[in-house]
Amino acid sequence: MGAQIMFYILATVIVVFSFLAVTSRKVMRATVYLLFVLLATAGLYFIIDYNFMAGIQLIVYAGGIVALIVFAVMLTEKIGDKIESPSNMQMILAGLISIAGAGVTISVLLGHDFKQSTQNIGQNVATIGENLLNYGKDGYVLPFEVVSILLLASMIAAIVVAKRKFEN
Amino acid sequence: MDLSNFFSIMRGEIVLAAIILILLLAEIATKDKKKIVDLAIGLFLIHTIFGFFGVGEGVLFGGMFKASPIVNLFKNILNVGVLIILFQSASWVKGKLEEHNRVSEFYILLFASLLGMYYMISAGDFLMFYIGIEMASLPVAGLAAFDIYQKRSAEAALKYIFLAAITSGISLLGISFLYSASGTIFFDELKPFMTNDSLITLGFLFFLVGLLFKISIVPFHLWTADVYEGAPIGVTSYLSVISKGAAAFILIIILFTMAKPIMELWREVIYMLSILTMFIGNIFALRQKNMKRFLAFSSIAQAGFIILGMLSGTQLGMSAVVFFIATYIFSNLGAFGVVYAIANQSGKENMDDYNGFYRTNPLLSVLMMLALFSLAGIPPVAGFFGKFFLFMSAASAGYYWLILFAVINVTISLYYYLLVVRAMFVRQNDNPIPAFKSDVYMKIGLILPAIGIFVLGLYSPIYEHINELVGMFLK
Amino acid sequence: MYDFSKITGAIHNWLSSIMPDLGVIITEWVLIGVVFLAFFALLGLILVYAERRIAGFFQFRLGPNRVGPFGMFQTVADTVKLLLKELVGTKEADSFLYNLAPYFLIIAALMSMAVIPYGFNLVAYDVNIGLFFMMAVSSIGVIGILLAGWSSNNKYSMIGAIRSSAIIISYELSLGLSSVLAMVLLAGTLNMNEIVMSQQAGWWLFRGHIPAIIAFIVFIITGTAETNRVPFDLTEAESELGAGFHAEYSGIKFAFFFLAEFVNMFIISAIAVTVFLGGWLPIHIPFWDGFNGIMDYIPGPIWFMIKTSIVIFILMWFRWTFPRLRIDQVLTLEWKYLLPISLVNLILMAFVVMMGWVF
Repeated sequence: MGAQIMFYILATVIVVFSFLAVTSRKVMRATVYLLFVLLATAGLYFIIDYNFMAGIQLIVYAGGIVALIVFAVMLTEKIGDKIESPSNMQMILAGLISIAGAGVTISVLLGHDFKQSTQNIGQNVATIGENLLNYGKDGYVLPFEVVSILLLASMIAAIVVAKRKFEN
Repeated sequence: MDLSNFFSIMRGEIVLAAIILILLLAEIATKDKKKIVDLAIGLFLIHTIFGFFGVGEGVLFGGMFKASPIVNLFKNILNVGVLIILFQSASWVKGKLEEHNRVSEFYILLFASLLGMYYMISAGDFLMFYIGIEMASLPVAGLAAFDIYQKRSAEAALKYIFLAAITSGISLLGISFLYSASGTIFFDELKPFMTNDSLITLGFLFFLVGLLFKISIVPFHLWTADVYEGAPIGVTSYLSVISKGAAAFILIIILFTMAKPIMELWREVIYMLSILTMFIGNIFALRQKNMKRFLAFSSIAQAGFIILGMLSGTQLGMSAVVFFIATYIFSNLGAFGVVYAIANQSGKENMDDYNGFYRTNPLLSVLMMLALFSLAGIPPVAGFFGKFFLFMSAASAGYYWLILFAVINVTISLYYYLLVVRAMFVRQNDNPIPAFKSDVYMKIGLILPAIGIFVLGLYSPIYEHINELVGMFLK
Repeated sequence: MYDFSKITGAIHNWLSSIMPDLGVIITEWVLIGVVFLAFFALLGLILVYAERRIAGFFQFRLGPNRVGPFGMFQTVADTVKLLLKELVGTKEADSFLYNLAPYFLIIAALMSMAVIPYGFNLVAYDVNIGLFFMMAVSSIGVIGILLAGWSSNNKYSMIGAIRSSAIIISYELSLGLSSVLAMVLLAGTLNMNEIVMSQQAGWWLFRGHIPAIIAFIVFIITGTAETNRVPFDLTEAESELGAGFHAEYSGIKFAFFFLAEFVNMFIISAIAVTVFLGGWLPIHIPFWDGFNGIMDYIPGPIWFMIKTSIVIFILMWFRWTFPRLRIDQVLTLEWKYLLPISLVNLILMAFVVMMGWVF
């Protein structure tokens, strides 16, 4: 009962702030609205008792990605700049297409009967750690290692873009 | 899974990862950066040659990594393509040394992207597939920005990464729908759940968006022209050939193994998209004067042909697609190679500057003509057989109207390919591009596609080998 | 050890007998919130006063000693002054963010305080990932600093905010690696209560010999950086940036930032005490049962406060010992020295635990 009330509050926060984030004309405010959406998503994870995932969401998204976006905005925008709003025709068309797409997706989702999962997920952090290095079935060591090469490549790509010109 | 199996099945990936690390260390250790170019090309040549010898087959990591002979063959085809690109871009990278002092980043990013494609092709579940597709796109975005101080290069990278991010977001939404309807992300376990349920349909269509973006199918083709024009030399050929080929290959694997039960659904979609893509690619290519944009639109049209072969759902269709991708790699790299040799030497990219090219550089003109004939589908070079097998597989499924449209498109494409040939051979020019000689790497990079075009067309055991491996795979 | 769950259980039972379930939950929320807010304010008061007296002690002068006996009410006077000050804002373009920024810091501090064990079963939020949760929540504070610097519409505030957040984000890495990971290897759990309970045989600082001492040293260094204190306080150095990212705040909003800094110092000390120095466990000397019996009489929270005060004293001691570092020196220290040391220490600790060479 309490979980339901909390879920509705968080869901309202997510929907309202997502809408505000895409329609706001000041970039930094849109970033803060995005931060609220991500915090509310972490709250959803707390409701289903998956605390580890909520912690990860807070560290990676709220603390890492939003900080990165804020840095990027700080370095490129002047305070008081407003994004130009699109023309009326574009807004009407975009609105219609969005509503149509959302309508199709929501009706499909509501019309499908979802079966409840019978798996028992271990809440233990120790289980998560063991599965991360397990190389049998249900083990995730291959994605873990491949993602580390992906991160290395991303860092090198960032260096390629950001390194200063070679001064002779 | 025991460790003795591990090294024989995943050998290619491990060797490529080791090459990346060796290049990183070499960057720190050497003073003379030009040697890194030779080191990279040498190491990759060894990797390509070893790839042909006895890589095992099997399933690793509980089903996340699948290796079979046809997948290994395709990795070898990709290897040869990347090798040709390395040869063609060697002199350009050496020129970058004086300008930016960035040599080894080019090779590290290229190999990291190729490694991502390996994992994408051998994926056994959606997680490895998604990691592979991201690992294939992100380094290429960095590569497209390699000429960072030229506006069009930075613009190309921005356009690529924005659109890649949005489409991969939609693709991920589709994957999450498929997971929520079935409870598993492994391809084999998902097959019984693929019914005509509306959530599965919606999820599958969203998921296809990510792959169709990489193959540049209409309506996800809008990034192609701008990115191909703005990105530097080797990156455009890499994007147009390797990226497209790998995405087409994993698409056909998914369509023929996992999505077989909903074949009626995706056949409709591919039918419409194929017609749209062929027409739009060809019509827009007619008006292009910049050679890079011209080849970009022609490659959109070729993508339409590639997915035409997926309509049949039989072994003939899949082997036709694999063979066509192999011929497409060689022909497109031949065409791009000549464009780059000219651009490297004189900086000219416009079709009007190619007038009278035959007078000054006859060999290059002949190679360009060969590559364009192969792209158009004129016998006896390889492109003809590729298109022939594709049409045969579509006809075997009964799509006669589609073949009519495809033939009309082949005619239109022949027209604009011959425009280039006419410019080079027939038209006169007062100051044509002067005769020049390229360095050794570029020469090898231009000879290899020519050999490939002839060998693939005339030496039939290659096609029969592909057919046999596909037959084993689809059992 | 006195079991505080008796008190908390009694309060819960009394509330359940009066109200329905939902009312009990909400009342407990309000109660815990009020208790923590009062604790927060009290801590701020005491720590500010302590800072000024200790500063005087180090500089061989008297600190505040006029307002009340030994100057104890000095901070109360300061608070009244701050509350009465005019809120001079700037003509900034973003009043929403300007007003929102301090609250991020306070919320981060409050959430961190909720998982610290003050006594046996005296934890507000006993979650399985306690230590990890503290790391996660401190990342939210960074956003508050950035927003404060940006929305002040002041170049120097922005520079101060960027420097400050760069320092915090960089040092979070070594903090997590040295304190969280290295000591969690020893304790075997992330739950703060169980970490304290596992130190009943002896504090981890002494039981996990060399790697634990290295981890403690790294933790103290990164802790001072996290709270932007000397020698890493170039963002609010009075002589340099004119108070850094909170330059444009006055009155009660400035008080928020000021308080949040001191409470952050308390939180870092609390983590150090819990993970390294045994939390609320009394000092036990092995084989001296009489001494141990006397020590057991003193309740847990008092031990906790004593140990935290010692660590806070050390942190304040740093302020008057070391000169200030430049921003590039700060970042070099983290990325080229502390991070490799933390990583090697982690491997060393894993090796030691695997071999069983723990006392």
